[in-house]
Amino acid sequence: MKILALARVHLGALAVLALLTLSACVLLAGLPRLVQGSFDAALHQSLRGATASQVDLAVRVESRSRQEDLREPSQFAARDQRFRSILPDPLRGLVLPAGTGTGHMSAKTWGTPVRGSGGMTYVNLGWLSDAGRRVRWTEGRAPGAPGTMNHQGTTITVFEVAVTEEARDKMRLRVGDLRVLGESDHVAVRVVGLFAAADPADRYWSHHPDILRVTEVQPPGKLDLERHTTALISDAGLTALSGEGRNLRYSWVLPVDPGAPTSLGVSELTGAVTAYGRVVGLQPGGGSQYRLETGLPQLLTGFLAALSTARTVMFLVLGGLLAVSVGVIMLAVHLLTDRAGEALTLARARGGSLRQVAGTGAALVALAVVPAAPAGYALSWLVPGPVLPIVHAGPALVCGAAVGFAAVRTALAHRAPLRERRDDVAAARPSAGRITLEVLVVGLALGGAYLLRTRGLAAGTAGDDPFLLVVPLALTVAAALVTIRCYPYPLRLIVRLAARGRRAVPFLGLTRAARARSGSVLPVLILLPALAVSVFASVIADGIAGTQRLASWQDTGASLRVTSPVELPADAVARVGAVPGVELVVPAQTASVQLGYGGERAEVIAVDLGRWRRVLDGAPVSVPAMPAAGSGVPALVSPELRGRGTLEVGWQTRVKVTERGVVTAVPGFFARGKFLVVPYEINERAAVNTLLIRGDADPRAVARAVGQPRAQVTSQAAALAAIENAPLTGTVRVVLLVTTVALAGYALVAVVVALVLGAADRARALTFLRPLGLTERQARGLTMLEILPMILVTALVGLALGLGLPAALGPGVDLSAYAGGVAVAGYSPGLVTPALLAAGLAAVAALGAYAHTVISRRRAPGAALRAGELV
Amino acid sequence: MNPTLSELEARASAPKTVFGGDAHIVCDNLVRIYKTEGVEVVALQGLDLVVREGELVAIVGASGSGKSTLLNVLSGLDVPTAGVARVAGMDLLSMTAKDRLRYRREVVGFIWQQTARNLLPYLTARENVELPIKLAGRVSGRAARGERAARLLELLGVGSRAGRRPAELSGGEQQRVAIAVALANEPRLILADEPTGELDSDTSEEVFEALRTANRELGVTVVIVTHDPLVSEQVDRTIGIRDGRTSSETLRREGAEGQIVAEEYAVLDRVGRLQLPRDFMNALDMERRVRLELESDHIGVWPVREEPSDEQ
Repeated sequence: MKILALARVHLGALAVLALLTLSACVLLAGLPRLVQGSFDAALHQSLRGATASQVDLAVRVESRSRQEDLREPSQFAARDQRFRSILPDPLRGLVLPAGTGTGHMSAKTWGTPVRGSGGMTYVNLGWLSDAGRRVRWTEGRAPGAPGTMNHQGTTITVFEVAVTEEARDKMRLRVGDLRVLGESDHVAVRVVGLFAAADPADRYWSHHPDILRVTEVQPPGKLDLERHTTALISDAGLTALSGEGRNLRYSWVLPVDPGAPTSLGVSELTGAVTAYGRVVGLQPGGGSQYRLETGLPQLLTGFLAALSTARTVMFLVLGGLLAVSVGVIMLAVHLLTDRAGEALTLARARGGSLRQVAGTGAALVALAVVPAAPAGYALSWLVPGPVLPIVHAGPALVCGAAVGFAAVRTALAHRAPLRERRDDVAAARPSAGRITLEVLVVGLALGGAYLLRTRGLAAGTAGDDPFLLVVPLALTVAAALVTIRCYPYPLRLIVRLAARGRRAVPFLGLTRAARARSGSVLPVLILLPALAVSVFASVIADGIAGTQRLASWQDTGASLRVTSPVELPADAVARVGAVPGVELVVPAQTASVQLGYGGERAEVIAVDLGRWRRVLDGAPVSVPAMPAAGSGVPALVSPELRGRGTLEVGWQTRVKVTERGVVTAVPGFFARGKFLVVPYEINERAAVNTLLIRGDADPRAVARAVGQPRAQVTSQAAALAAIENAPLTGTVRVVLLVTTVALAGYALVAVVVALVLGAADRARALTFLRPLGLTERQARGLTMLEILPMILVTALVGLALGLGLPAALGPGVDLSAYAGGVAVAGYSPGLVTPALLAAGLAAVAALGAYAHTVISRRRAPGAALRAGELV
Repeated sequence: MNPTLSELEARASAPKTVFGGDAHIVCDNLVRIYKTEGVEVVALQGLDLVVREGELVAIVGASGSGKSTLLNVLSGLDVPTAGVARVAGMDLLSMTAKDRLRYRREVVGFIWQQTARNLLPYLTARENVELPIKLAGRVSGRAARGERAARLLELLGVGSRAGRRPAELSGGEQQRVAIAVALANEPRLILADEPTGELDSDTSEEVFEALRTANRELGVTVVIVTHDPLVSEQVDRTIGIRDGRTSSETLRREGAEGQIVAEEYAVLDRVGRLQLPRDFMNALDMERRVRLELESDHIGVWPVREEPSDEQ
């Protein structure tokens, strides 16, 4: 069949097909990588944000006798090696090598009282395998080997220890001090040095907060605080440390690289940690059992839960993109096989077997698709992110679908060598089977949506609920089916009206439009999901953007907020007011105050609510107005303090305030717990420590104006930027934007290809009508009237479906992970963008139709008549 | 005397003479009905046709009389609804799809009216001729294929145009190349649907001459559907079709003085039905009933006379 020669003739259609395939492959292989990459980045961020003690794997065992004691660092190292050797495969890649990261070994006692302190002072002994590089000595020297001393007639061990400066200050442990520890089995400690962490901010120290800080506990019924510290001993001190007389615990910390886990392997990791815990428990450890302590599974599970619904939305959007792009490619294949149809018909008539003809059709399509798909696949590698199966499967699927569709379509079209197409005489009536199938699909979709709304999602399975993915798909298909089946009926009514009118063009155009031919099914099937998904995506994106803004305002409570731990003088407030860009400064006082005379405390803010409302003018958050004053000092209280009537507040002086209303949250300050909002004038002398600023002033300039180094300036813009720049959020918005643009593009291509597909038929009809007196303008109107109803109806249904999808999915969509933790609710505000999308598409399609009629005008009226009837 | 049982049995088992015998094309009571939703078109209504091997016949008829349907049936592109259609001994009704493909590849070649529809526009004349050979997958090398194509094009007088694409050929040349394409696989039958319909009379003459060459030189049976009196006057036999039935045949023979004598015959079908030419009927005001009288060498047909006395 000389396929190359045939391809040269249809170069245009081939180029369109190749371009569509390329773009589809780039999107289908690239977007999942981008999404998955951001999921991974978010996971890493959340793991880095967690403490090392939560993330790392710690194997612990208690020593209860001399036989169980470990006296040499080498014994620790041997066990460390053993614990590493039994790591399951999924964890092996995550755990950093010994001696790196936060990995180390330790031995610590707990609950070791200082003799004679009445159980109010505890000095625990701690050994760290890497103390040498983790601490620096600020006074005295490093502890050395233990000695002995006589105590009450017995010889006891004297450990040389080092304590923190905080312990020195709070527990009066000075260098040279000696303390006897234990109530029955005594040892002594001599403080020989003070230490501080080499890097207190190191995640490492989350494993040993007791070493760096003094723990203060208020025991019930006592006024004084109980103080605990852990003093460091040397390697040599380890030889004398025994679990026989005191609580002694050994730990091996296997550091987990927070940047190593992937979001795909989370469930596997969780399982591996559980398995490892079991294996660790079975290790021979003398009398005590080893146990694994880690917060990793909880962290991972929590992350998965936060991610799941977001993942569902991404799957939905990407699934829609896949369906639409494959649909458009099929439409282009339709165009190409239609164009090549005449040649194939001739070849079939001249003795071409079905296989030869179908093979030619498939090969022609393959000529465009096969080079384009690998090219798109290759381009997708420019997108950063992990490689998922869909990255390989996407382009293969597109390729297979295009070539397969071409083969099947050509085979069906040329099954009989001569096609008698009489659909110009009568439209084929739908078979009973097809109607039954359509009713079934519509019924299933509606039933599914109903069930999804009533049942909701099984807890913990959100996102992996296949129902959530199937229902939107079924709804879209159902809407498309209903549209295709029903849109001719109202049109026929209009046709009847048009028939009564005097003008022929509306009648003719609408009649042609009402004769829904099979050719118009595919464009509807593409347009509808394209519009629905892009509207859905834009609604979600709008919802996220709005909620992000809301979250940022809830976070700051004003454009700029200055908070200071010390009082801000009046001249500082005046200086801030003079900073360029500052429109309004509202001073406020915040404090933690005593309620009544007991230990109950509440947070309070004293502020002029009226002025604050002016600061928040135009922002998505607001504060209530203070009700008109009755007797006493009015106050708004949190729900927890509701119904108490009058409260006695202990601030600068004791003031009685009267509940005048309930406020659930104070933006920028309180969201839960006990809090009060009171008038600014509550204190006789206002101690301003907070400024609420309206205006777009530079935060640094404000900070300079405040002149108080401990004051903090928080800006709403910065808070918004922080939320928007979170890896997950940024990517989701990019993906939604790219998808919306791509789908709108595909919808446009679908309309244009549909126009081109029907061009020959339309041109023939026009050429027959032109000699009857149809003017060019009327011809254009005819084409517009023929194509517009389909576009308009589809646009409207797509718009409605896209707007309705979030509601239909209801509980399944929770995007709070993308909006700084604030639940994204009420997807209604962004009606403008979707409506613009639909309207824009309709307008562009109409323009396309117009351009098409203008181009086809060039055809001489007699040409079609001379060419005779087509096959 | 009534026949005995054994006589009846012998009569039943005696080999029947088949309609048309071993003729090249046999259509017996051929029916083709197109069914589309709500519309039924009976294109062939019991058509009979017999064409002998090596004949050159023309089929004429008004638009919509079923000529093209007949041709599509004979070319294996369409399947008749009922009746008998046999070409070269192959039954067109009982053929499987595979048989049908082999039939189109080896037995029949055809030419359509639209010159553009016969040839692939992006192939040269030679490539167009080679295409059916390639499609048939005949074991012949490229050289052999090229040689056959060249020979055919030469035979039809377009050898010099072998390297041209259809757009670079005149209408007559295109049709002659189309005839070469139809002849590519050495078919035994050529069907041509208005091959000169789009051509002027000079070019028509050339194309018709090419068909006659194929008929004469290669011994191929040629059936031409035409409106063109020029064509119908130059073939041995012209078959008229009316309302999906063969209605008349015109035979041409050379007279004693060398002039061509054309005699038009009405066609008598197997059960004795006969279509009278409409103008004959009109001339004698015949309708509904006629009176027949058997004479020694002919049958007389008389219009019914209204004679009240007879009825009394």
